[in-house]
Amino acid sequence: MSSENNWRIIRLAEFKRPDAPASTRVQQLFQHIRNLFPRVEERSDDEEQSDFPGYREFDLKPGADALDVAFDEWREDGDSGIKFLISPPFSGTANIVREWAVRHQWPSLTAPKEEQFCGIDVESWWREQSAKQWIIDDFAKYWQRRTDGLTFIRALLPKLLRGELGQGLVVCDSWSFAFLQRAWPVNLPNVYCFAAADEVLLRQVGIQAEDKKLKSLAARAFGNVGLALALWAVEQDSEHQLPSMPPDCRDETAFVLYTLLLHRGLAGESLQRLLPIITADQLDVQLLQLQQAKLISYEDNEWYVTVYGYLAVRDFLRSRGFFVDAF
Amino acid sequence: METDKILGLFKTVTSDVVIEIAVVIAASVAIIWLSQRLFPWIAEHLHGKQRLFVLAMIPTLRVIVFVLATIWIVPMVIETSMQNMVAILGAAGLAIGFAMKDYVSSLVAGIVAVYELPYRPGDWIEVNGTYGEVKHIGMRAVEIVTPDDTVVFIPHLKLWTELIHNANNGGASLMCVTHFYLAPNHDPNLVRSILEDVTLTSPYVKLQNPISVSVREQPWGTHYRIKAYPIDPRQQFQFISDLTARGKNCLRAASIDFANLSPEHAVQVTP
Repeated sequence: MSSENNWRIIRLAEFKRPDAPASTRVQQLFQHIRNLFPRVEERSDDEEQSDFPGYREFDLKPGADALDVAFDEWREDGDSGIKFLISPPFSGTANIVREWAVRHQWPSLTAPKEEQFCGIDVESWWREQSAKQWIIDDFAKYWQRRTDGLTFIRALLPKLLRGELGQGLVVCDSWSFAFLQRAWPVNLPNVYCFAAADEVLLRQVGIQAEDKKLKSLAARAFGNVGLALALWAVEQDSEHQLPSMPPDCRDETAFVLYTLLLHRGLAGESLQRLLPIITADQLDVQLLQLQQAKLISYEDNEWYVTVYGYLAVRDFLRSRGFFVDAF
Repeated sequence: METDKILGLFKTVTSDVVIEIAVVIAASVAIIWLSQRLFPWIAEHLHGKQRLFVLAMIPTLRVIVFVLATIWIVPMVIETSMQNMVAILGAAGLAIGFAMKDYVSSLVAGIVAVYELPYRPGDWIEVNGTYGEVKHIGMRAVEIVTPDDTVVFIPHLKLWTELIHNANNGGASLMCVTHFYLAPNHDPNLVRSILEDVTLTSPYVKLQNPISVSVREQPWGTHYRIKAYPIDPRQQFQFISDLTARGKNCLRAASIDFANLSPEHAVQVTP
């Protein structure tokens, strides 16, 4: 095995998905049709059996090393200003950045509380935790898609870009970033991401298979390491298939899934505030239905799209004309 | 003598020919019937452009089947010489001219509609003040369903004389206009900013398309219009309702007063 580090930081505009082999394209088409015409499947009553294999973490150190290679000069200069690192869901980018921040003793800023989203008082939020160098590990938690939920981030972004808050690395979820670019249409400078994972990187994170298989896996996962690990785990487990969309999906289903992706998970009450057009009981029905379909899960008081359901959810939202991320 | 001439136009029809004609007609009807059920079913599972494309295939396929069946059947019963065709078309033209002018005009307009595409299934059209979604394009008439769930049959004949307003013209983008009527004493930039955010945060809005808020001063106050697109044209009424409801709440929270329109002013407002 090569000891070379295959993690690379690139500018967002340079990101290119891995080419999919013809067989993978056919498989993706089949999956797309399956999502369009979902059928009612018999579910196993045995909860133990229906659990998906555990989502395996990978070694974060090589990713942090890649950040060093890309940002060391900038970090050592200590110039004020920020860099964005865009993170597709489940890519592990935030974990890598946290590892990198610990290595260089950069503190992680705490997101404002929901009540602060509607105010422009960035100063009081900043005063409590000001630092010369810092990271924001989840920019999706700095705003909400409600009428008064963008005020804080609109006040914060110019300060960040002007370097008024020191030097920082901001990790922003790719769905959140796509929306923010629409809501705050300024061409943001210094936007980076990890290059799409190829077969060599997948082998580096511990997936052992022949090249053809790994190429296909990288293409199916859109070059997303975390997603590739999840797909690989399901492939290795003959008892499970990836979840698909339930048969009776409506506009409300799409709104719930899109909102969860946009904010990288939300508490039920926040979701209700963001989607007042869906009544509380309807929302409960939607959430339970999606949970039963293994497309979302409930952890630490918040609802999330599952790593195993992400492909089906993304395809579902894209086919309905939603504004999806660039990955 | 005349009878012989007329009979001379036609071939001798044997039982085999009758059976073949029956089979061609039955197959054509079956294909059309099947397409009118299968394509809408597929379209129900699709969204946006894909849905409109599948729906648009229904009338096109019907015309193709109709033309092919005619080409197949006519030479089986008619001696296809130039003289015969002129005689038959002349006689048919006379009959149509007297008895079935409007019906045939609608049929011809129906065929023209397939090529000119003034409306396709899935389009939102307005003809003579009736607005609705095109559900089915028949041989003679187009069937639209209004927002009140009333089916309206409009003969294709209207294509020749009436203005056809098509709100999405075969695409998945349909602009919706939401109106707000406010008392004149307020900060218009604040209102525009509020209304833009109301639109941007609507779950129905198509973020790929532009959002604009226009302002116009009127004798009774200020008229605001939000122009934006829902993700799916079928969501237009829920979209406008959502913008109206949340827009009113936000304007009320910002202590902005709504205009009181007198009836004479209200009738002057046009969308």
